[in-house]
Amino acid sequence: MIIAERKPLTRILQMIAPFERVAIIGCRGCVAICSAGGDREVETVAAALRLARKRKGRPLQTIEETFVRQCDPEYLTPLETLKEKVEAVVSLACGVGVNLAADLYPDLKIYPGVDTSFYGSNPSLGQWEEKCRGCGDCIIDFTGGLCPIARCAKNLLNGPCGGSQGGKCEIRPDVPCVWHLIYERLKKRGELEKLTQIWPAKNWIPAGHGGPRQRVRPDLQFNNKK
Amino acid sequence: MSGWKIAILCCHYTNEASAEDMADIPARVEIKRFSCSGRIEVSDILKALEADAEAVLVAGCEKGSCHNHSGSLRAEKRVEAARKILEEIGMEPERIQMAFIPRLDTGAFVMAAKETFERLLDILPKGEITS
Repeated sequence: MIIAERKPLTRILQMIAPFERVAIIGCRGCVAICSAGGDREVETVAAALRLARKRKGRPLQTIEETFVRQCDPEYLTPLETLKEKVEAVVSLACGVGVNLAADLYPDLKIYPGVDTSFYGSNPSLGQWEEKCRGCGDCIIDFTGGLCPIARCAKNLLNGPCGGSQGGKCEIRPDVPCVWHLIYERLKKRGELEKLTQIWPAKNWIPAGHGGPRQRVRPDLQFNNKK
Repeated sequence: MSGWKIAILCCHYTNEASAEDMADIPARVEIKRFSCSGRIEVSDILKALEADAEAVLVAGCEKGSCHNHSGSLRAEKRVEAARKILEEIGMEPERIQMAFIPRLDTGAFVMAAKETFERLLDILPKGEITS
């Protein structure tokens, strides 16, 4: 899922400084699952912002709503009426949601309430780990299912580097060297020969270096009413 | 009377004391009870401050004696999160206190409220005491 983290409240307060009526909108997609922008976080952020503004003698009125998703136009339609009731919107969705709302409602002052961080897993409660960088050209069939782009600090395709010591990365002793893990995994699977293949230089165009990426499925576009 | 308000958020099972039991504390005391202190959200604490409480005491059952196993431990984590938010917005985190109270021990409950009031005396300018 997409992992996000709430922006510092002082930063959000700066964004909404000119306004007295603001909507805080959450998303029940990824950001709710990673506890950054679901119903609970909307309630907490709204209460914190109101409290801060009350202390400054400039009370803030908030409307709190959480949409099913903010990355699909149909779920953003409540913004049509919401924008008549408030001066600005703080979205706790990932950057996708904020961008789409800004595209669809150009006259709406919408601001991001979270920083979109990475694609990650949720190995235990309250913990999220990066596992994928969305590079658009997946090579983890060669690496035992472990991604060296996302999980190696140097994004090495031919690791490990000289900084790998005792199975740990040089950046921090608690970070495993993914190339060490890859070696151990492939050895266990009897697939060490995969490491002997010479890979051509990685094509980074699918990673976004060729401009904003799009995916199209013409069969689904039939009779598209969007 | 200081003119201050102290909000106590606690669990139904922790204690049955009422605001009258807090008569010795020179502040208005409001007690809000939850089904378990583990159900007290960060937003509940912030809303109590928003509703003019100068300090909030979150009182949960003594460690290991929570009716729901770990409710008061969860409450402690929420108190930590709420304190961080206060720091972020320039308020004193000591305004939020956590206390683990032996079940139905009114003395300990009142003492925790008194200590919360005393922390306020430490952190707020004396000029804020209205009378």
